[in-house]
Amino acid sequence: MRGRVLVIGAIVASLVLVGAYLAAGGSSYEPEKVQNPCEPRPWSNPQTLGQIANQFTISALDGAACKLGVSRETLARALATPEARARFAKKYGIDDEKLAKAIRAGLLRAVDDAEEAGALSPLLAGPLRTTLQHIPLDQAIELINDAESLLGNVNSFLGPAGSLLEQFLP
Amino acid sequence: MLVSFNLVMALAAVPAALLARRVGPGRAAAVGLAVFAGAGLACGLSDQLSTLIVARCIQALGGAAAVTAALELLPATVGSERRAATVWAAAGATGAALGPALGGILTELVSWQSIFLLQVPVALVAAVPILAVAKHAGATGVIEPELRRTGRPHLWANLALAMVSAAIAAALFLLVLLLIEGWRLSPIVAAIVVSVMPLAAILGGKLAEQVPDARSRAAAGAILVSGGLAGLAFLPKATIALTIPPQILVGIGLSLVLSALTETALGGRAPQAIHGGWTISARHAGVVIGLLALTPIFTAEIDQQRHDAINAGTAVILDSPVNPLLKLSLAEKVSERLEEERGKVPTIGPAFEPLPDDPAERAEVQQLQGELQDQLDRGATHAFSTSFILAALLGLIALFPIALSKEVEL
Repeated sequence: MRGRVLVIGAIVASLVLVGAYLAAGGSSYEPEKVQNPCEPRPWSNPQTLGQIANQFTISALDGAACKLGVSRETLARALATPEARARFAKKYGIDDEKLAKAIRAGLLRAVDDAEEAGALSPLLAGPLRTTLQHIPLDQAIELINDAESLLGNVNSFLGPAGSLLEQFLP
Repeated sequence: MLVSFNLVMALAAVPAALLARRVGPGRAAAVGLAVFAGAGLACGLSDQLSTLIVARCIQALGGAAAVTAALELLPATVGSERRAATVWAAAGATGAALGPALGGILTELVSWQSIFLLQVPVALVAAVPILAVAKHAGATGVIEPELRRTGRPHLWANLALAMVSAAIAAALFLLVLLLIEGWRLSPIVAAIVVSVMPLAAILGGKLAEQVPDARSRAAAGAILVSGGLAGLAFLPKATIALTIPPQILVGIGLSLVLSALTETALGGRAPQAIHGGWTISARHAGVVIGLLALTPIFTAEIDQQRHDAINAGTAVILDSPVNPLLKLSLAEKVSERLEEERGKVPTIGPAFEPLPDDPAERAEVQQLQGELQDQLDRGATHAFSTSFILAALLGLIALFPIALSKEVEL
């Protein structure tokens, strides 16, 4: 009899513990899944230049990551330093030309998204697209890192990004 | 390295018991303890992995001789073979639960070598009463093999012991790893945390005294070990407090199941040393199988979860409202931390230093740090889930041989 009570007690104690932990979220306590970069990521109605630049950077990373078949997060870390970029290139077998193409595609997607969200005038979006199609890799990465400067200068047609536009406009 | 001691114990326990029968348990225990102490000294002084492994293997040979011979000597001290089996089994269960806690404390307070060096005086001190008992019982002489016929080992009890031991080894080994490698606790804190298990094992020992039916104790113990392991597999948060209830279940369970199965394997069988050898062999074989089967699963999982956690943390940074230049700089520093702590769950704090001067930006960065740390904790905890679940299943599967072990006379 005591033996049976002990076994039943063990079953109850185990079920209570596991049930309580599952009810508290034990089955879903894991890292959150990252979004597929090829899926559209809606802009959250940015108001200031800083907010627009933020969204622009994310759109550009999404576009480039989608083109390369990696996550946006992996690409962001890869573009952080030349060493990180070299490791990334080696791991995924991506040369500079392929990376440049992908980042240009990302920047173009960011321009499209900015235009669609009403954050960039169609008058400026057109020449900006033309410029971005020919931009060198290092400058493309710089634009992802400093989208605020790009957008600020596109709007004013002044400063280093404005010079870039002048340089690359046909 | 990790399984070398257990592997040799598994292979040497029965031959060591046969040797103890031939040369006398007193002599076998004394020689075993001397070998154990000498090899322990060699482990503590070794500066190469290969030396350490060899010394651990020799230590296992000495340990196998001492432990099996001790079982032959115990009846003279405690009055009966049945009582000897109970005491011997309880000592084994307590040792299994106590090991990780004691090892962690010594590693932190002194060094890992001290674990082995401390075994030297302990073994020598243990030799004194053993020799006294051997002399008193006249057990130092050769025991004639024909005096008591060697029965067949209890297949089901030993099989269940192997399965449960695999599950318990996983509980002890994986929990210590989770605390130190996953949650980055110091070894001494981890040791204090896992000391819950030996404390609960003491409680389990008291509980066992109330229930004479060994099969029920074994079944209840296996269920509690599995329940505790399943609890560890489904931790809802990376906090120490939540590991306590599962540890209590595992501690009580291991005490119940190991002692009950050992008693079952020994009950009515002679000679005790040889059947004790079979239980030692089964337990250590279980540990070897458990660790060899679960370590690759856990290793692959932790790599995957680390990758997922870093991606989730980077997503948190990228989606945050902080300045893009700052967020990409943070992503860069996180990347550097990953490179510095390749293959481990990184300590992320340094990536966020120095904090910005602007109070609003500082608060945002600190929040980001917290969120990234949360993702890493999630990844580290989840990485152990599959292994804990498989270990829990092993404990449950052990219920089948436990159910088949009913025709044992105790």
